[in-house]
Amino acid sequence: MPSFLPQTPFAPNPLLLFGFLLLAGVVGGEVVQRVLAVPRIVGYVVIGLLLGTGGLDVLDARLTREAWIFVELALGLILFELGRRLDFTWLKRDAWLAATGVLESALTFWLLFFVLTLFDVSPLYAAVAGAIGIATSPAVVMVVAQERKAEGQVTERALNLTAINSVISFVVVTMLLAGIHHEYRADWMTVILHPVYLLLGSALLGLLSSVLVVALARWLGKSGRGHFVMTLSMIVVTIGAARLLELSVVLALLAFGVLSRNLDRRHDLMPFDPGRLGQMFVVVLFVVSGASLRVEDLVAGGTLGVVFVLTRFFAKSLGIMSFTRFSGVRPGTAGMLCLALTPMSALAISMVRGTTELYPEFGTKLAAIVLSAVLILELLGPIAVDFALRRAGEAVAEEKPAV
Amino acid sequence: MSGARRRPESASGLHKTTVIEMMNPSELEFSSSAGPTMGVELELQLLNSRDYNLGRDAADLLALLEKTGHPGAVKPEITESMVELNSSVHTSHESLVRELQVLRDMVAEAAERLNLRVSGGGSHAFHDWSDRRIYPTERFQHLLKVYGYLAKQFTIFGQHVHVGCPDGDAAIYLTHMLSRYVPHFIALSASSPFQQGSDTSYQSSRLNTVSAFPLSGQIPFVQTWREFTDYFERMRSLGIVESMKDFYWDIRPKPEYGTVEVRVFDTPLTVERAALLGAYVQTLARYLLAERPRAPSRDVYEFYRYNRFQACRYGLEGSLIDAYSEKRLSLQEDVLATLQIIAPHAKELGADAALQEIAAGVQEGYSDAAWLRQVHGERKSLNDVARLQSELWMGRTKVHA
Repeated sequence: MPSFLPQTPFAPNPLLLFGFLLLAGVVGGEVVQRVLAVPRIVGYVVIGLLLGTGGLDVLDARLTREAWIFVELALGLILFELGRRLDFTWLKRDAWLAATGVLESALTFWLLFFVLTLFDVSPLYAAVAGAIGIATSPAVVMVVAQERKAEGQVTERALNLTAINSVISFVVVTMLLAGIHHEYRADWMTVILHPVYLLLGSALLGLLSSVLVVALARWLGKSGRGHFVMTLSMIVVTIGAARLLELSVVLALLAFGVLSRNLDRRHDLMPFDPGRLGQMFVVVLFVVSGASLRVEDLVAGGTLGVVFVLTRFFAKSLGIMSFTRFSGVRPGTAGMLCLALTPMSALAISMVRGTTELYPEFGTKLAAIVLSAVLILELLGPIAVDFALRRAGEAVAEEKPAV
Repeated sequence: MSGARRRPESASGLHKTTVIEMMNPSELEFSSSAGPTMGVELELQLLNSRDYNLGRDAADLLALLEKTGHPGAVKPEITESMVELNSSVHTSHESLVRELQVLRDMVAEAAERLNLRVSGGGSHAFHDWSDRRIYPTERFQHLLKVYGYLAKQFTIFGQHVHVGCPDGDAAIYLTHMLSRYVPHFIALSASSPFQQGSDTSYQSSRLNTVSAFPLSGQIPFVQTWREFTDYFERMRSLGIVESMKDFYWDIRPKPEYGTVEVRVFDTPLTVERAALLGAYVQTLARYLLAERPRAPSRDVYEFYRYNRFQACRYGLEGSLIDAYSEKRLSLQEDVLATLQIIAPHAKELGADAALQEIAAGVQEGYSDAAWLRQVHGERKSLNDVARLQSELWMGRTKVHA
């Protein structure tokens, strides 16, 4: 063989991987969507499942790990956007919305913890699983809302409640890290300082980024294109910095979003809409999420997964139904919110992975409890959100002609 | 008045579908209004607080307002991004402005509970008309079916001023006579310089959208209420209209209220300015009905569209062809001269302070459109224009009437 020819076996490179994931998602998602008439993101997940370790093993464990960086990029982008939706002044004016968020999060945690221990899950695992269960998938709610061009009280409230429960979930999981470290007899410095470092460090990184983004926006002056590229670059830099510093991409980007809106008193930063670029990352996000799940998990997790899903839905509904009516919204809004908050997806997987990286044994056991529920909700969640937004009359029915 | 008088529409329209009402002849009976009363309707913009584009939450806002209760009425409009505020009937500018302020505060507070903003102005600066959705009532869905995309483009925001009339003949007289002053009304209220993300170069671009409708324009040159009802019956028997609502005229009689309704105003940026415009129409009406200074002239309509264009395009800096003297006048000077002429009637109505405030604004060349352009010049972003516009209407920043 002449030396200028590529040598076999071919080594896949990141670009090829990214392009392949996109292509598989777009083509496969379209096929699944046409055959099953479900939201497109369900199609991406199904394709991921099919290609992943549980399916054809095209995306084996190593490739899925390599592709995870794209998931973090996509998730970071979405969490930033979600954070920008969270408006402190609104929470002050409608305190019942904030109260709903806290109540449904607390109920979800305690009920999941209680029910899982009934099923002989040891308390630490039950607590961490419960804490992960608090969070609604920001990606699913955001993407379905954007795809449907949904707008209205159900959409806005679902997104704000998702932002609230994502923050609470992350904080609780991080605090429980202390328990996990203790379980594995880490030194007391690690037990105490690791959670503190994660929480404070990520929040501080988010704060730094938001101060910088607003300052840059002011310096650039109002220019839609300029602000778009600058904001995007700040998002990518923040994600990279969070990884470099072993901080949490999730919390850092959420904090970045929330603070960049709520600290920008002079409204220097223009609205950020990732548009088609965002859609591209969404495809990869859901394909890789699907690939990191296995249908065997569902069989192994079995009843526990179903119990997890039902308990979580009941707890969230109880919280939402108790307080939403005081917000002065129309009757029926609360019911639609219960459905809209069901999804679990990449955020949950990412939190499980976080523990796996520290203590593989712990992570594997936790995965058995949580991931079967995530698998169920990856498939049902988007359908529930889609139904809720359409039923609420907030999704646009007619499609515009293509241009 | 017979029992056929139409009920005022319910406050929110949520539980009541506004059916295309079939008028029976007695509904064309003109109910008499005592004295020169006035009432104001304001079409308002509902914005989200994220990028200040139009929202779609009218139904939620109306439901919340119905729960809390308020004076006047708040109703749905053709798309889900609009609501309409109605004052009750007033005899004085002072009581009108007070009621509008109360209504404004209630609407602003309810909107903020839903994370919405409310804004004045004749147009939204950058919304895309094709994103609009028709408010789900039978009448509005019917309008979409009839007018197609025009129904969605009709997401523009006007102020209507009603003035009371003693009888139908007086209403016809007043309608014709007020037509002479339509350029005043347009220039004083102009607040729609931006449309679909661009500067239109007009002071009021909103009326260009209204002109696209086949039944827009002016009342025919009838002289009595009898002649008018004959005209209406003919149009109805030909199936061109079903009710008075189908005429999108600049000024039209409203027999069931006993009023003449001026519809050319852009919604001003503040309720205070809306009340000033109400006082101006009320005073003009009192002057015209009491003094009957001139007879209606067909010539007014000869120059009507030119004069209307001048006011839309240039505002107070435009010119006006006076049909009676056949002279070209400066619109700004003509408004000031008119304010002088009607000043005695303003005193009678207690509207002299209001009219002086208008005069002061005209002298310094103030217009809402110019304010919007100035904000855009300073902030360089239409999102910021929409945001500051809503803060101004909601009373969250210093008011410039």
